[in-house]
Amino acid sequence: MPDTMGYVIVGAVLFALGLIGFLTRRNLIVIFLSTEVMFQGVVVNAAAFARFHHHLEGQAYALFLLVIAAVEAGLALGLVMLLYRRKDTLDADAWSQMRG
Amino acid sequence: MSVETLKLCSLVVLLAPLVGAILAGAFGQVLRGRTHWPAIFGVGAAFTAAVYILIYVFNTPAASTGISIPIYDWITNGTGSSFKIEFLIDPLTAVMLAIVTGISLLVVIYSRDYMREHGHPERGYERFFAFLALFVFSMCALVLCGNFLLLYLGWEAVGLCSYLLIGFYYGRPAAAAAAKKAFLVNRVGDSGFGLGILLIYLNFQTLDYKFVFALVDQGLIASGEPVSPALMTTIALLLLCGACGKSAQLPLHVWLPDAMEGPSPVSALIHAATMVTAGVYMVARCGAIFSASETAMTIVAVIGAVTALFAATIALVQTDMKRILAYSTISQLGYMFLALGVYAADSAIFHLFTHAFFKALLFLGAGSAMHAMGGVIDVRHFSGLRRALPWTYATLVIGSLALAGFPMFSGFFSKDEIIHHALAAHPVLGGMALLTAALTAFYTFRMVFLAFHGSTRVPEGVHPHESGGWMLAPLCVLSIGAVAAGYVGVEATGRTFHHFLSPVFASTFAAAHPFEAGSHATFWSAYGLMIVSGALSIAAIAAAYLVYVRQPWIPGLIKASAMGVYRLLWGKYHVDALYDLSVVRPARQTGRICVGIDDYVVDGLLWVITALPRGIAYLLRVMQSGLLQGYALSMVAGIVVLLLLAL
Repeated sequence: MPDTMGYVIVGAVLFALGLIGFLTRRNLIVIFLSTEVMFQGVVVNAAAFARFHHHLEGQAYALFLLVIAAVEAGLALGLVMLLYRRKDTLDADAWSQMRG
Repeated sequence: MSVETLKLCSLVVLLAPLVGAILAGAFGQVLRGRTHWPAIFGVGAAFTAAVYILIYVFNTPAASTGISIPIYDWITNGTGSSFKIEFLIDPLTAVMLAIVTGISLLVVIYSRDYMREHGHPERGYERFFAFLALFVFSMCALVLCGNFLLLYLGWEAVGLCSYLLIGFYYGRPAAAAAAKKAFLVNRVGDSGFGLGILLIYLNFQTLDYKFVFALVDQGLIASGEPVSPALMTTIALLLLCGACGKSAQLPLHVWLPDAMEGPSPVSALIHAATMVTAGVYMVARCGAIFSASETAMTIVAVIGAVTALFAATIALVQTDMKRILAYSTISQLGYMFLALGVYAADSAIFHLFTHAFFKALLFLGAGSAMHAMGGVIDVRHFSGLRRALPWTYATLVIGSLALAGFPMFSGFFSKDEIIHHALAAHPVLGGMALLTAALTAFYTFRMVFLAFHGSTRVPEGVHPHESGGWMLAPLCVLSIGAVAAGYVGVEATGRTFHHFLSPVFASTFAAAHPFEAGSHATFWSAYGLMIVSGALSIAAIAAAYLVYVRQPWIPGLIKASAMGVYRLLWGKYHVDALYDLSVVRPARQTGRICVGIDDYVVDGLLWVITALPRGIAYLLRVMQSGLLQGYALSMVAGIVVLLLLAL
């Protein structure tokens, strides 16, 4: 099943790119975007396996995930906004009070 | 008036000043400059009630042996015995209450004006009146209480108030040090006092005055065995230890002169008229215990006489008006102890009574002079004040005449009586008392002449002004007392004071009384001493006049010719230096060693014990970087490891 394999690879690439972005970037918004990219990789995987199994559950699941992702995006951007107001910077390294 | 009313009155005496203190303390920031009103009303109510009690006790024969007023059971222990909150009202209590609340009322009124200028920036006015009213409460508790436990409570409470008021100007190092000194010296005495009370409880199984004194009178301890003389002597000496601390007798007198760092009204009330007489009151109250031991009585008398002479000689050379008066207070308290020691407790209380008037008057007068001199109290810095301060001068002279024992003033009668008893019991001690009387007259008028006579001289930038009515009125009232108080105890008025008090001391003191006026009814024995001591007093005043007003070069000459003696007196016999060397410094060194041990040994040991967890934590803390992406990286690494293991 080469077509399914392609979807899974796309999902894996998205996840990997998101992970690299998450680990390497310092801007909070970019970090947040990276998590979204990782998330979408997972959603793509869900859709791909649904197709592989000829099942609609996975696709329905993907729709739910999109809604949840939207809600979560609103929440997370709100948090980023608060953090920005506190320190006037979006640099993630500014928040390291928990250092031991 | 019934016993119920008496109970109500005694509660008012006790609680009204406490309420005043709480109001002044709690609402001081609202009342500000009007904070004296709660104190005046509280103490005034107490005084009114005290006068009622005095009248009641005077008119009720049954009260002469003491009425117990139980309020409630305070502590009940397992064996069924209990400590009560309970009052004992008898003539001694009634007289003491009237003295304490009366003088307190006058002093509170006086303070209204005085403290306006001599307050403390840190809520000084409110704090002062709250503490003063609290003192009156504590002193009334000490006097009213009917058992040793409450006595100890009141005893410590007056000590606390004394500490708070000596350290009133706590920003001044001298005042803070004096407060600390007073507290610590009193602790030395109080530890003995506490041990004495414990010994009483161990042997008599009760702390109630009536039961203890009844057992002592029978010569039995609680188990029914006869009490041993050594035990009585020990108890009496331990109690005496407390009395010496509170009443500033040798060797614990060192705190009282320093206590003059407090405001003048405090010196007048606490360190002259009332609190320092607590020791005298206690010894008089425990007359049964003291008179059971001949040795203890002799020691009381010797301490009294030696202290009287000792303090009077120091007062000869001091230049601070308040210190002169402080030493004279120690000396007069010595007289009272001498009287107690020669079985003349009624004379001691009589002297306490007259002394309260004239010594409060003298201190308030000195305060008034200090007020006019802008806080300067050293007689080397001013003179000739009689023109600027006529009222203060007049009242101060009346007080001085009373203190000097000038004939027909109150101090004359009471002091004469003590010398009389002392001469009959111990001629040597009596002789010392007589000599002290002459010295007293001399140094008192030395102070008056130096401060108020001679050319008018005031410190730089000071415009002397007579004090206002709030300060002069108490001075005038006290002057009347200083002149007239003695007449309640003289033959002409039937010795009312002594007859009133005699039931309190009758059971114990009468048997041992070596001297009774009636048994020596010749003119010479009855009046001879009066003439001698009166003449001595007048001669000493005349000598002071000659030396300090007529021929002012003489003091310098005496000083130059007897430099050694002068240095000894100026250094107060170097008692302070001796204590510094023998107690204070070793204690401080020990303290330093303890701090060193704490800093190096104890802390070092703790450092060693805690080194292991600290080391582990030091290694582990690297992992907690606090950075979001660091954690993310370790999560990824963890997942990778898990995946590798799973595959």
